[in-house]
Amino acid sequence: MSRPALAYRKYSVIAAVAIREKSAYLASYAARYLTYGLFVFVFSRIWAAVYAGSASIAGYTREMSTWYFIVAELPIFSFSAFFARVSEELKNGQIAYRLARPYGFIPASFAERVGPALLDLAVFGAVGFALGFALAGPPPVPAGLSFAVAPALALSLVLSACLQFFLQMSLAMTAFRLEENDAFYWIYQKLALVVGTLIPIEFLPDAARALARWTPFPAISWSPARILVAFEPREALSILGVQAAWVLAAALLSSAVFAAGRRHVVVNGG
Amino acid sequence: MRFASTFRFLGRAFAVNVKAVLEYRVNFFLQVFGMMLNNAAFAVFWKVLIDRTGGVGGYGFTDIMFVWAVSSTSFGLAHVVAGNIRSISRMVREGELDVYLLQPRDVWLNVVCSRTVVSAWGDFAYGFIVLALMPGVGLGRWLVFLAIIPAAALVFAAAFSAAETLAFWLGDSQGISGALQEFLLSFSLYPETIFEPGMRWIFYTLVPSAFVAYVPLAAWRSLDWGAVGVVWAAALAWLIITRALFRAGLKRYESGNKMGARI
Repeated sequence: MSRPALAYRKYSVIAAVAIREKSAYLASYAARYLTYGLFVFVFSRIWAAVYAGSASIAGYTREMSTWYFIVAELPIFSFSAFFARVSEELKNGQIAYRLARPYGFIPASFAERVGPALLDLAVFGAVGFALGFALAGPPPVPAGLSFAVAPALALSLVLSACLQFFLQMSLAMTAFRLEENDAFYWIYQKLALVVGTLIPIEFLPDAARALARWTPFPAISWSPARILVAFEPREALSILGVQAAWVLAAALLSSAVFAAGRRHVVVNGG
Repeated sequence: MRFASTFRFLGRAFAVNVKAVLEYRVNFFLQVFGMMLNNAAFAVFWKVLIDRTGGVGGYGFTDIMFVWAVSSTSFGLAHVVAGNIRSISRMVREGELDVYLLQPRDVWLNVVCSRTVVSAWGDFAYGFIVLALMPGVGLGRWLVFLAIIPAAALVFAAAFSAAETLAFWLGDSQGISGALQEFLLSFSLYPETIFEPGMRWIFYTLVPSAFVAYVPLAAWRSLDWGAVGVVWAAALAWLIITRALFRAGLKRYESGNKMGARI
């Protein structure tokens, strides 16, 4: 078997085991699905009140804003747990055990974390879309283009998962050098929430919007949400291209942080 | 005398809890900072939205910030003083109440006050910071705020632990008690007027968001001390209900013979 085929097989087995483990306890995550559903409901009421006096704000109608929120929250609810697990592995010494195994630390972590997160995404997506239809009717997709929207949205969400993973890995691996690194993640998490999740970046003041476009945060939530609510083929391609570029940059960053950090690992005892 | 003794006990429990969390100072300050940052993210959201729209459901930015201030500080106070209000269900299920039953103190009070939640200190501080930064908050409004906080904290503590005591009857009630708590918290942080009139009765009964956010806002807007009294009356009613539920539930409690010690 060739090396790439072997690697593919190895990491897909890791992902499959992690997905099986997650699916066995899916019901125990009910509280998180409920929280997401509650959030969607509350925000649909906010948008109903906001749009009582105007048909459109910054180019978004009430239906667009409701659907925007439903999709923008998916990467936040589904892909936010990468940091804590990796950071904990580094702090409690589990990393020493993992480094000795015959796989790459970052690719194995990717398979182990992103696989189950995509299962989570499917459940949150089902909850969100059911609520969306009930609260705002069908998504505002242009007639005849729904065949293109679905794969573009799916690809954008997968890229968002990859981006969240590599960015959170980079932050988590600061634990190689620092004892307390949680504050970095909190700042990252709140920036992701403000820049493109709770509201579309088009709502931000001009200067803040211009600044936001130079950061990776819009590629997390704004990109998939924008693809669903304002689909236009050329813009969608550009959004996906920008997301892919950020994924590549974040992957390189995480490799650099790992290479610099692993030199500081000291293993005591066994 | 009983009141004095209870307050002395609360003071001692609080002092021990504070000492325990300050053992890990960096972690303590990080968690406090993180919680304030979390709340501030929503302040940015409301600022942007209200600058665009002029108001949401009749609430201006100041109204929203007051609702966040009062909810956050009272939620924080409830968890700072009574950090176990959301752990009762787990403690009942795992048979952890045995150790409290042997002690010569009120069981409910002893259980809920035996821990403090570190991140809640950030919530507690957040309301004061918001109010201090808000323009035009005179002495009268500060007094209304300070008079409401302990009552609203009691509502939070009593309602959360009432939901948790369902464990005495249902066994594993974490799902339903978690949902009730999530509803209370979520509905308290948004304008009452965005919800349909048909569902607002819930906020004055089963999920008492009205007494931790909406009635306090009415009191604060028009310096209405009568509304402050309403919040206190609701707090006492919830306290009586919760204690009655806990006492009734305790009769059904079965020891798991779990060994434990409180040091």
